[in-house]
This record gives sequence, structure tokens and C-alpha cells, in this order.
Amino acid sequence: MRVRHALQSTNMKPISRTVLVGLGRVGLVAVALLVAACGSSASDEASGGSLTVYSGRGEDLIGPVLDLFEDQTGITIDVRYGNSADMALQIDTEGERSPADIYIGQSPGAVGFLDQQGLLTELPADLLSRVDAAYQATSGNWVGITGRVRVLVYNTDLVDPADLPASVLELTNPEFAGRVAVAPSNGSFQDFVTGMRGMLGDDATADWLAGMAANGAPNYPKNGPIVDAVTRGEVDMGLVNHYYLLEFLEEDPSLPAANHVFGAGDIGSMLITSAAAIVGSSDNVDEAQQLIEFLLSAEAQTLSANGEKEYPLIAEVGAPAGLAPLADLASVTVDLNELADGLTGTQQLIENSGIIE
Amino acid sequence: MGRAAPSKILLVVVAVLTICFAGPLLFVLYRNVRLGADFGEIFSSSRTWGPFGRSLLLGTSVALLSSIVGTSLAWVTIRTDVPGVRLWRLLAPLPLVFPSFVGATALISGFANGGVLEQLIDPLGIDLPELAGFWAAAMVLTLFTYPYVFLPVAARLRRMPASLEESARLLGRSPMSVFLSVVVPQLRTSITAGASLVFLYAISDFGAVQLLRYDTLTRVIYSNAFADQALVMALSLLLAVVALVVVWFEGRQLSQQLVFADSAQRVALPVRLRLSRIPVLAGLVAFFSFALVGPVVSLAYWVLRGVRADRTSGSLVISTDGLANAIGNTVFVSVVAAVLTVLVVLPFAYFSARHPGRPSRLASSVVISGFAMPGLVLAISFVFWIVNSDALFRFYQTLPLLIVAYILHFGAQAARTSEVAVGALPKGVEDAARVLGAGRTRRFFTIELPIIMPGLLAAMGLVLLSTMKELPATLFLRPNGFDTLATRIWASMDNISLAKAGFESLILLVVSAILTWVLVLRHSEAAG
Repeated sequence: MRVRHALQSTNMKPISRTVLVGLGRVGLVAVALLVAACGSSASDEASGGSLTVYSGRGEDLIGPVLDLFEDQTGITIDVRYGNSADMALQIDTEGERSPADIYIGQSPGAVGFLDQQGLLTELPADLLSRVDAAYQATSGNWVGITGRVRVLVYNTDLVDPADLPASVLELTNPEFAGRVAVAPSNGSFQDFVTGMRGMLGDDATADWLAGMAANGAPNYPKNGPIVDAVTRGEVDMGLVNHYYLLEFLEEDPSLPAANHVFGAGDIGSMLITSAAAIVGSSDNVDEAQQLIEFLLSAEAQTLSANGEKEYPLIAEVGAPAGLAPLADLASVTVDLNELADGLTGTQQLIENSGIIE
Repeated sequence: MGRAAPSKILLVVVAVLTICFAGPLLFVLYRNVRLGADFGEIFSSSRTWGPFGRSLLLGTSVALLSSIVGTSLAWVTIRTDVPGVRLWRLLAPLPLVFPSFVGATALISGFANGGVLEQLIDPLGIDLPELAGFWAAAMVLTLFTYPYVFLPVAARLRRMPASLEESARLLGRSPMSVFLSVVVPQLRTSITAGASLVFLYAISDFGAVQLLRYDTLTRVIYSNAFADQALVMALSLLLAVVALVVVWFEGRQLSQQLVFADSAQRVALPVRLRLSRIPVLAGLVAFFSFALVGPVVSLAYWVLRGVRADRTSGSLVISTDGLANAIGNTVFVSVVAAVLTVLVVLPFAYFSARHPGRPSRLASSVVISGFAMPGLVLAISFVFWIVNSDALFRFYQTLPLLIVAYILHFGAQAARTSEVAVGALPKGVEDAARVLGAGRTRRFFTIELPIIMPGLLAAMGLVLLSTMKELPATLFLRPNGFDTLATRIWASMDNISLAKAGFESLILLVVSAILTWVLVLRHSEAAG
């Protein structure tokens, strides 16, 4: 019976044939386009004076600066945008074959990892001298471009600003129990803890982390979700980089939240820098140095500061309106080379403290 | 029944493809050997077992919930006369297209404390429970992964003879009883195939699970990416082993597949829901309110907020520069990847269906279990193999290798569904056709293809929707400057441009609906 039915099911043939012919056409077009794509990518390489940039800073932030550099120097830039940490791992995996000439990352942790892996080239002293020693590697292998300050974001409906502490160290007090969100797995929190180790030492850092853990600090994955939760009133406060709230407010100025900057020199208000470095395998070191020089020029620094949302790092360009002056911030280097066990040590301190829920 | 030995060509093709599919696994093995992690310490630590236990609990729960949701939806939309059945069929696969970080953020924005819903019901004085932790993560992942069950099950249902069900109904069984005692047993292979994909997805997901604040093994993997690569590789290996074991045992189901295939293309009489129409319809509306309307309202809310801010500040929050290009790229790579992936897994399907045994089970287990590799490790493994091969390195960061990566990653989604489809071919038909003198090609096109087509289309649908939202491999392997909708959404979210992210996500949803209709559903409707 079944057999007969199957062989008689003539009404099926045309339909599946059309489907198949359709799929076949799609396949052919695909193959043709792929071949075309291969051809074009192979022919790109010939032109001289070009740089490949792996940028963990988004196109909205750094695209205009790179365009300006192209216009002024005639050097073409091929940019690859992605996540700062991922791209550092990508360069590490690519090793000698990395197409990247320059790495631009959002966090000292990621660029510090590349430095520790020995994948970066030393920058000339005259470039490094433009930026405060706190915001560059002691190895001279990377330099800060812009900065974001660590702050305590709080919900203005739920928190009286008068109750906010002058030091981040006070957040372990009982009155803050369960009220301060942290992102212990996120790069910028790790950078902050690395900075705290450099300034206060491992014991004090471990104590603070344990105090936060004992206070039941709610965990969030990263800065954005903390600010979102604070604006919704899900949590009262959170430790984040200052810039996220400014972005949220741009889309909804009515959000009930504000940034609290800790007292002058407090580790709670340290600067997290975005950084640029030349990749060791680069064959275009001259052009790469030109780009970094440009990134540290007054013109580019003003542009890179993301419409007055971030700190420029060279002396000629001042802090954006509405932000604490750079001199008031804790001057801390997040330099992994300064610490014998670098990020591994930081990660272990965080995990041992029990702050991760 | 006596079967001929597999042809040499089939064996070679399957062996070579299996090695390609094993690439990420081999990379993890190699790195483990090189880095020499202290397994004793890692696997005796509560810091491993705590998150690992939570990963397993989450994976199992989401797999179970997705099976229930996906199977029920498939039965209601394929077998009953519920009003608006074609609309529900179109909507049901779509939640799969939300990248999990967008979907989770949208649901949080909609349903968490202080979110859109709570603001709306504020006058009633009702506070919603906190949207965080195990149940929140399980619920949200279920909403975004049940299509892994729905699509293959719906495809099976289209091909399953209605005669058994009709007999049961004539004998006076209620629709529910027919569903449980007649339909589900026949669907078992499709359900477990989908459920195992859901399990693998859930144990490898990072974005959504993190946003819902449930601490799993992927968090340990991601947060140690710089600090402790030996640990990262050891834990990735652990996930891979779990995945292999799960898929190996799930594969046993295949050999016990119940095949009552009458290939007569007779449309099954829809089950008349009568009085239950209203509750069933209400259930569908309620479900899609959560799975689709909820996220869509949140996304639209972000867009409106941005537009309002634009008006007051005069700046433009939602830039559409390059959007058309990104749409074109998305459509291109997802369609190409979907078609090629199904073609690539067909040899596996024939191998397992025609030559069941340990070799075929191992081959498909390797293909499928790779799906449990966390995105970051997966992407790095591709980079590793490419930069260490002169032949491949010429094509590094070009489209062909990006497509190959999609095929190797998403082959898992197409493999089992295709196997189930090929396995359901009535064995007698081919023999009969051969006796009647039909050649191999003719038999394939006139007899086998019509029967397996719904399964292949379901497999294509899964790969299509998954490729559209794929992120890690795309970010690592795309040509410089090659944007897809997913990379744009990611960049917008990263930059806290929620209005832009919302707008781009809505576009992604519309594009995916159109593609699903044009490429998958239209043909399934015609074929089934």
C-alpha cells in the first residue's frame, strides 16, 4: 500500500522541483559572489601607505578621528571594529600573522594582556611624554587616549545625595548593604581592582572586596545593565564608569539618576583609560606612529572625547564641562607589569572574596 | 534487514567533514595539552562545580520547557483548526532571531522591576517579581530557544500519517489523549533532537544568562579569558565532553525511531477544537505576548524615546547610514549559509539512516556537540586553524571562510533534523522504485526529496535564523567593514544607543519574518 501511494504521489514532484531549482539558483549565485569576494579581497593588498586598525572603540567614537587622519595624511586605514577584550585575544591567537598594525582598546586590562604576551612594540618617548605617566604603560608599550572615571551612579528618587560617601571604601558599611550593584566579572571592575591593588596593596583590596561580598552587593554583568537597573529603581546605586549614564540620559533626559564622584584622590574615582598600541608584527611602524601621534594631537583629542563625555588625556585639552578636573582624580596606573601576578592575581582576589554571587 | 556497505565516496566525504566539524574540539584538546591545566585542582574546586551544576540545571530545565512549548505549539498550529493558524505558524519560529543579549535586555526593559509593564500597571499597585536568577534565565532562554523544537517537530507532523490519530479519535479519545498517547511517541526523535540543541545552546549561552544574573560556567570562562587561559580551555573541554555524552545518548533514539510513514499526500483532517478553541487561542495570544509582543514593545519604546530626545535636542540618535548595506549582507550570508549547511549535512543524514551504528552515531555526535562551544572559544578556534594554515590564511577575514564557519557551527542545527527526515523515509519505497528500474538520481528527486523536504526546510529555517543573529564568529572572521544587522545591533548596544539598537532589532525581526516566509514556510505549506 505504502509503496503504491508513494509512487503515485505525482502531485509532489513539481513542487519539490521548483523548490530545488530555487535552491540551486541561490547556491549558484552564492558561489559566484563568493568567488568575486575572494578576487576583490586579494587585489586590495597592493596599495601602499595603509594601516590596519583593530578597534575596540566603536565606530561612532573613533570613526571620525580616523577619517580625519586619512584626509590629512593620505594613509588609508582599514578598520576592524569589535569588542576590546575579544580583539586582544584575536591578536594573541594570530601571533606573528596578525594583520593588525594598531590596537585600540577600551580598557587597560586588555591592552595590558597584549603587553604581557609580548605582542606590542615600544612607543617613541616623545609620544609617551604627552600623557601623564599614570596613563601609560611603564614598559612604554601602550599609551592612554581618553579616560572614563569610575563613579557611583545612584537613583535620585531613592538616594539622598547627602548620604553618599566620600570614599568608595565606605561602601562596605552596613547602611549600604544590598544597595550597591557591582560587575565583578567585567573588565572595568577588574581594572578598578587592579588599580586598587596598586594604590592600597593586596590586603586592603581583599578586605574591601570581602566587605562588599559581606554586604551582599548585587551582581550585574557590566556597566550598562547596572545603570539601567539603577534608573529603573531595581537597585539604589552601582559602581560603574561615568560615561554610561550620560549616554542613557541622552536618550531619556527624564531618567532619575546621577553620578557621584568620590572625594579628591579617592581610589573610587580612578580613571579607566582607553589605550592605543602598535602591534609587534606590524610592518608599518612609521605610519602607525603617525596615527598614534595624531590620536594625541589637540584636534583628535577633542574629537575623541566623545562629544565632551570622556576625558582627553593631553594637557592642552581640558576636562569636559561638568566633570571633575583630571587633577582631582586618583592618579593610579592600571599597569599589569607593576604587579607580579597581573590580571591573574586580580581575578583570584575577586573570586576568593566571594563577591561573585 | 541486510544493507549494503556504505559506498567509499560516502565514507570519505563523511570522514573529511567530520574532521572539519571537529575543528573547535580539536583546538580545545590541543590547547589543553599545551597549557597543561591542573585538572585535579580545577575539578575539585567548588568554583567549578557550583557554576557547572547551575549550567546543567539550566540546560536541562530549558530543554524540558522548550520541548513542552515547542511541541504544543507545533501540534496546535499544524493539526488543529485554531483561528489564525497561518499567522501563528509564521510567528512561532521568529523569537529565535533575537540575539540573546538584545532579547534579554528587551524583556528586562519590559518586564523587570520599574520596566515598561510595571509603569503601565503602576496605578493598580502591583509590583512584579524580580526578573533575575534561575527562573528568569530559564524562562527567557525558553522563549528564545523553543523554535529549535518547534521547527523540526512541525516538520515531522506535516509528514506523519494522520490515520493513527484519526483512528484514535474515532475510537472516542479526546484531542489531549490523542496528542499524548499517539502523537508524542511518534514525534519523540524530533523532540529530543530539538531539546538537545536547546540544552547545548543553554549551557553555552553567555549574554542572556548573565543579563538575568544567573552565574554559570560560561561566566567563569569569559571572566578568565585573560587571567587564566588554562582554566578557560579546561572548562571548555568539560562543556564539550558533556555535549558529546548528551548527544551520543540522544542519538540512540534515532535507531528506535517509529516510522509509520504512509507517503500518501493526504492532508490530515484538522482536529476540531470546538469549545477549547477559546482557551487555546487565549493561550497562543498570551504566549506570543511574552515571546514576541513584549520584546517588540520594549524595542519600539526605545525607538520612541530616542525620537523624542531627537526632537528636543535636535541631534539624530537613530542613524540609518549603511543600514541597507547591512540588511543586504545579512540576507546574503544567512541564505547562503542555510542552503549550504543543509547540503553539507545531507551525507551525514544518509550515512546514519542507511548505515546506523557506532561510526555514524559518532560522526553526527561530533557535528552536533560542537554547538555547545561558547562563542568566544569557537571564534578563537577558527582563527587558530586559519592562521596556522597557509592555504586557509589567504582567505582569512573574507566571506568564504566566514560562511564556512557558519556551516561548521550551525551544521549542528541541521544535522539531526535532516537525519530524522531521511530516517523517516519508508524503507520499502526505495527498494520498490529500484525494482521498477528507477536510477539513483531519479529516485532521489522523485521519491526521497518530496518526503524529506519538510525536514530539510525546517533545518534551513533554523540555520537561517541563527546565522542572521550570529555574533562571535562574525566579529572575528568578517571582512573589515562588513556589517550585518547583528554586528550593528551589537555596536549600538555597546555604545548605549538603545534607540538605534531597538530600530535595528525591529528591522532584523521584519527581515527574518519575510525570509522565513519566502524560503521556508511557503514551500512547507505547498509541500505539506
